[in-house]
Amino acid sequence: MHVYVIDDGSDLARDVNAQLRSYQLFAVSTCSIEQVATLSAPNEKVLYLVVAGEKAQVAQISALLQSSSTQSILITDSPIVFQQLGQFATDALLWPLASNLLQQRLNYLHQLQVAHDQLDGLKQSLAWHKARVDREHQLVEHIFQNALSRNYLEYAHVHTYLTPVSKFNGDLCLIAPGPLGNIYMLMADFTGHGLAPATGALPLSQAFFAMSDRGVSVAEMVTEFNYRMSRLLPDDMFCAAILLELSANGERVTYWNGGMPAALLFDEQGEILKRLSPAHMALGVVDDDEFDSRVATFRAPKGSSIALFTDGVTELLGHQHKFLGSEALEMLLSKYPRTEDFTSLVDELERFRGETPLHDDLSLAILSCRPTGLGEVKVEPEQFGLPFVFESVLHPEHLTTVDPVAHILSALSQLPHLRRHRTTIYLFLAEAFNNALEHGLLALDSAMKQDPEGFAEYYQLRLERLHALQHGEIRIRVHFEPNSKELTVSVSDNGSGAAEISTSPNFTEKSHGRGLELLRQMTTDLHWDSETRTVSFKYVL
Amino acid sequence: MPLHRQFANDGKELIIAIKGKFDFGLVQEFRQAYSNVGDQQPTVFIDLRETEYLDSSALGMLLNMRKSLGKSVKGIHIINCRPEVRSILDISRFDKLFVIE
Repeated sequence: MHVYVIDDGSDLARDVNAQLRSYQLFAVSTCSIEQVATLSAPNEKVLYLVVAGEKAQVAQISALLQSSSTQSILITDSPIVFQQLGQFATDALLWPLASNLLQQRLNYLHQLQVAHDQLDGLKQSLAWHKARVDREHQLVEHIFQNALSRNYLEYAHVHTYLTPVSKFNGDLCLIAPGPLGNIYMLMADFTGHGLAPATGALPLSQAFFAMSDRGVSVAEMVTEFNYRMSRLLPDDMFCAAILLELSANGERVTYWNGGMPAALLFDEQGEILKRLSPAHMALGVVDDDEFDSRVATFRAPKGSSIALFTDGVTELLGHQHKFLGSEALEMLLSKYPRTEDFTSLVDELERFRGETPLHDDLSLAILSCRPTGLGEVKVEPEQFGLPFVFESVLHPEHLTTVDPVAHILSALSQLPHLRRHRTTIYLFLAEAFNNALEHGLLALDSAMKQDPEGFAEYYQLRLERLHALQHGEIRIRVHFEPNSKELTVSVSDNGSGAAEISTSPNFTEKSHGRGLELLRQMTTDLHWDSETRTVSFKYVL
Repeated sequence: MPLHRQFANDGKELIIAIKGKFDFGLVQEFRQAYSNVGDQQPTVFIDLRETEYLDSSALGMLLNMRKSLGKSVKGIHIINCRPEVRSILDISRFDKLFVIE
């Protein structure tokens, strides 16, 4: 600390200066009040020691003290000056002083200054940290928003009330349409709340959306979720979850519940029809081999709804310091069973809570079991591309080692306009190819397939004869004409068996003969050329 | 795994899901899947949501299943068919023999 004695030239000033210098505590400079303004700022903190005798220039000193933020001690021997100026200085002393009082005051102010500086530093570093945390939260929020941007919360037949304790939600409520007009819904609750559990939501939601797109089964989805969670989460963290699938017609419900409160199926009168109780451990608790993916299914009656919720709802603390409880929740659902009552239901929950702060994330979603109205995924109308011819000549080394039809299809279905028809094209090719192979080259007799035992034997024999096959070839030719959208297929063999295709209909409930019947019904210009042993047909996309 | 088999609802439902290609390559596995349905007369669900390809041998396998299960099951439902699969089943008049949903 550097002490500036502002000297008014009085005897008092001389005494104060002498006393001060005798302490040898701080750097001391002396100047007149006029010189104060010209002082250059020193590196260390400054203290003004303003000495004002009886004849002091009160107005000038008052102006200095009031305008400067520098700490100051006023020393005067005049009670009048003390009265006039004392209030403007940090500290004011009436001369003469008890011994050492000035030294004590200076030390005290010095310590105050040091503490003040430390506090300032802490404040600044706190402000810096806060800005940094805010920025990081913004980034993470942005990532969450993007990760969950696909969440189909606006689906018309679902109502949600989702309230996190903090900015980040440890609960997860995800909705996604499947490719068959079905809808998937996942409600999950990670241990704890805030940012840490919310991070688990990222991989879970990515898996959920990707698998919904593919339309995979509930059992397979939860197996994948558990695989991811058990590798990702620390031992003391897991994720309770209920995954539910509603079929396109709104009737068939398949669910898996691991550690979540029982979801409730209720009808329009508010009667609880079924509790979808947890039958499994939460996700991330057990390893793959112990994991139980068994699902439960039921038929949802017309007009019924399913309420899914986290324990944040039943453990909602009310303004009377009581938990809501599951009975009260069921009563509320009975009171407000219809979809249009949802806001009233939420109002009641909020009334119950009053001003009490939330202590856990709270999620409630009600799904109406009715036809989803989503339809199957529509494929954009495509430009039909280039004409092409595909031909493959297959010999025993190909026939015995690969599945030629699957190979050809995996190539053809790369073409966008054929992709949509891959199942049908596969069927045609498989029927024609198997006819040429099984009857033409391997001389198998379909009559064997009359009964289930013979059916299996037939395919056993197919396998044996195929492995013994030394000679023979099958030629598959596919010709695509984009203008007429016509696919022409021909399959030839050079065997001697009865590969001939009869073109007269022969439709029965027998286990065989179905393949050719399908060809007859679904294709045009079905033709057998006995000269070239070729089956040919056309199919319009 | 191309074939996944699971009982649901305490053995009252048997779900058999077939992934990818459904044809004679699964003939043993498929028979195995419905060989032990228990004595609860369950409903069998054949879930074809992930069946991309099938041919007449798959149809034959389904018919054999129907024949072999007879009255030991409450019914056989074929569920979650993609549109192309559905039309193949329709052309084969499977809607008369199975519940297709």
